[in-house]
Amino acid sequence: MIRKHTRRAARAAFAVSLGVAILLGVLAASAVAASPTVKVGSKNFPEEYVLGELYSQALKAKGFDVTYKQSIGSTEIIQVALTSGQINFYPEYTGVIVQDVFKNTLSPKTAAATYALAKKEEAAKGFTLLAPTPFFDTDAIAVSNATAKKYGLHTIVDLAKVPNLTLGAMPEFQTRNTGLVGLENEYGLHNIHFVALGSISSYQALDSGKVLAADVFSTDPPLAAPSKYTVLTDPKNLFGFENVAPIVATSLVKELGPSFVDTVNAVSATLTQPAMLAMNKAVEVDQQSPASVAAAFLKANKLG
Amino acid sequence: MSLADEFRPGTFVQALHFIAGNVGFLAGKTLEQLELSGASIAIALALALPLGVVLGHLHRGSAFAIGASIVGRALPSLVLIGVFLTVLGIGFLNNMVALAVLAIGPILTNAYVAINGVDRDLVEAARAMGMSDRQVLARIELPLGAPLLLTGVRIAAVTVVATATIAAVDGGGGLGDVIVNQASYRLQGVLGASLCVMALSAAVWLALLALQALATPRGLRAATLLELSDYGKERL
Amino acid sequence: MTAAGPVIPNFGGASSCVLRNGLFCLGWVRQHWSDTLAPALVQHLELTVIAVGLGFAIALAGGLAAHRYRRAEQPFSVVSALLYTIPSLALFQLLVPFTGISLTTIEIALVAYTLVILFPTIVVALRSAPPEVLEAARGMGLTPRQILVRIELPLAVPAIVGGLRIAVVSTISTGTIAAFLMPEGLGHPIIFALSEPHPFKTEIYAAGALAIGLALVCDATLVVARALLAPWSRRGA
Repeated sequence: MIRKHTRRAARAAFAVSLGVAILLGVLAASAVAASPTVKVGSKNFPEEYVLGELYSQALKAKGFDVTYKQSIGSTEIIQVALTSGQINFYPEYTGVIVQDVFKNTLSPKTAAATYALAKKEEAAKGFTLLAPTPFFDTDAIAVSNATAKKYGLHTIVDLAKVPNLTLGAMPEFQTRNTGLVGLENEYGLHNIHFVALGSISSYQALDSGKVLAADVFSTDPPLAAPSKYTVLTDPKNLFGFENVAPIVATSLVKELGPSFVDTVNAVSATLTQPAMLAMNKAVEVDQQSPASVAAAFLKANKLG
Repeated sequence: MSLADEFRPGTFVQALHFIAGNVGFLAGKTLEQLELSGASIAIALALALPLGVVLGHLHRGSAFAIGASIVGRALPSLVLIGVFLTVLGIGFLNNMVALAVLAIGPILTNAYVAINGVDRDLVEAARAMGMSDRQVLARIELPLGAPLLLTGVRIAAVTVVATATIAAVDGGGGLGDVIVNQASYRLQGVLGASLCVMALSAAVWLALLALQALATPRGLRAATLLELSDYGKERL
Repeated sequence: MTAAGPVIPNFGGASSCVLRNGLFCLGWVRQHWSDTLAPALVQHLELTVIAVGLGFAIALAGGLAAHRYRRAEQPFSVVSALLYTIPSLALFQLLVPFTGISLTTIEIALVAYTLVILFPTIVVALRSAPPEVLEAARGMGLTPRQILVRIELPLAVPAIVGGLRIAVVSTISTGTIAAFLMPEGLGHPIIFALSEPHPFKTEIYAAGALAIGLALVCDATLVVARALLAPWSRRGA
C-alpha cells in the first residue's frame, strides 16, 4: 500500500514539474520572441491591400520583424485594432483622420494643413504620423455619363436638380462628415435617398441602374480616361485632402529608431498618383495579387 | 487576443437596445429576407415536390432523388450565390435562383423517400379495394408520407432563410445587409441583426413544425413529436 | 526612384480573357495558383480538419458518455436543433464579443455545427448492435467495456463514417462563410471577386470549384476509409 501511494505521489510530482518546466519554457520563448514586431494592418479595400503589402515587404527586406493582417475592416474597426494593440501600424488617409477619427466638421484648406492637424491629433493619443505620400485618394461622387448629360451635372451642387436622387455608398457613408452628413449640411442636399451597397461595388450599382449617383474613390481604375463615368467636382472640398500617411504607435517608433522611419518614408515617397493608379489597375483590372504587385514595384525601385 | 475596447459581452445589452431602437428598420429587412426566401422556396417546391412525389409513387429514380441531396450538400451557398451573380447580375433574381437550387435537394429527397417508403401492403390493399392510382396517391401515400415530406420542406425552408442572410453580398438585401456592414451599424447593430436572424430562423422552423403536426393524420402525430428527439437521424 | 518619379514596372498586364471577364481564364488560374488559390485552399483545409477533428473528439467522448447514461441525450437534441437553424454568419458575429475577430471564433462555430451532426450520429450508431448479439456477448461473460470495444464500436463504424462524411462536407461549405469575418479560406477570393466593379468570373469559378472539389475528395476518402475499417459493410451511400 505504501509503495502504491509513493508511486502515485512520484508520478504526480513528475507531472507537475514537467508542466511547470513547459510553462516556463513557453514563457521564456515568448519573451525572447518579443523583440519589437511591426504589426501591420490594412483596411478592407484593394488600395489598402497594396499599401499594406508595400510597407510590410519593404520593412521585412530591411530586416525588421513584421506581421501583416490584411483586410481588418473599415476605419472604425481598424482604429479599434490599433488602439487595442492588435496592430501598431497601418496606412490611413489624412482627411479621414481629421474628419472621421477626430470628428472635425470641416477639413483644413490645404493638404499640408490637413496632414499637420492629423499629425498633431494622433500624437496626442500616442501615435506618430510618418511622412505623407504624394498621391491622394479622396471620395468622390460619380454618375454615369448618361445621367450627367441628362441633368447637366458638373459639380456636386448640381445634384439638387435631380429628382428621385438615389445615392449608393458603403453604409458608413451615412454617418460620416466626409459622407452623407457633409452632403446634407455643407451642400444643402436634402433630396438624397441613400442606398447602402454592402459588398457590391459602386460601379456595379451605377451600371445596373440601382442608383443614379455613387460614392467612389478618385484612384479607382474605372475612372481613368476614357471613362464611362463622370466625377462631379467638389468645390467646397467636403471630401478634403486624402494623402496617405502611416499611423504608427509612438512607442514602436522610439524602439526601432531612425532606420525604421527612413525605410517607411522611402516607400511613401515613391507613391505618386501615376504609381498608385498603375498598381490599382494591376490589382483590380488585371487581377494580379496585391502581394506580387507590391513586390514588383518595390524591386523596381530598389526598396524590396 | 480579442479587440479589447469594443468587444465585451456587455455589447449584447447594447444589441438589444439597437433592436429596440430600430424596430421598423429591422422589420423591413426581415420582410425583405422573407420575400426572397419565400420566392425561392416557392420555385423549389413547384419543381421538386411534384417530381419527388411522382418518382416515389412510381418507385423510380431513387439514385437521382437521393443523389440530389448529396450533391446539394457539397455546393457551398456562397459559391452558388457567386456563380449566379456572374450569370444573372446583381439583385433579386440571381439570389432567388441560387437559393432555389439549395432548397431543391431536401424537398426532392424527402418527398421521394416519404412516398416511396409507404408500406407496400397498404398500397396493395388499397388497390385491391378498387382505388385508382390517383386515389392511392391522394388517400394513402400522401397522408402517410406527409411527416417526412414536410420535414424536407421544413429543412429546405430554414436552409433558405438562413442562407438568405449572405445574399446581402449580392444585392439580396435582408438582415444580412446589417450583419456584413459592421462599419456602419457597429457591433451592436451586427449583433442585434444576428439575434434577429436567429429568431427568424427558429420561428420559421417552429411554424413549419406546427404546420406539419397539423397536417399529419392524428394517428401519426406521436411519431412526429418523436422526431424532435431524433434530429440527427433525419439529416442522415 | 528617378528625378522624374518612381519606376513603374510592368506588373504583367492581363490576358485578353481577363480583360473581357471571360467565362474561365485558365491562364489566370495557372498564374495565380500559388499566390491566391493554393493558400486559400490550404487555409480552408486547415479550418476543416481542426473543426472536424475537435468536433469528432468531443462528440465521441460525449457519445460514449451518453451511451452509458441515457439521460444526457435528450436536452442536447433540442439545443442542437435550434443551433442548426442559426445562420453561420450570425453565429460567427455572436461569438465576436467573446473571442474577437479571430480563428478561434471561426473554429468554435464550425465545431458547434460539427457536433450537431456527429453527436446524434455516434449515439445512434453505438446503439445499432443487434440485441441478439449483445445477449450472446453477455452470455459469454464479456464485460460492458469489452462489449463496447469489441462489438458496439466496430459495428458503429459505418454509421459514424457516414456522419463524418456529412460533417466534413458541411464544414467545408460553411467554412466559405468564414471569409466574411477574416480573409481566410476559399470564401475570401469569392467575396473579393464579388466586390469588384465587374465581379471577376474566373476567380469565383476557380475558388468555387476548389471548394466543391475539396468536399468531393474528402467524401471519397472517407468512403475508402469506411471500406478499409469496416469491410463487412458493402451498402452504398
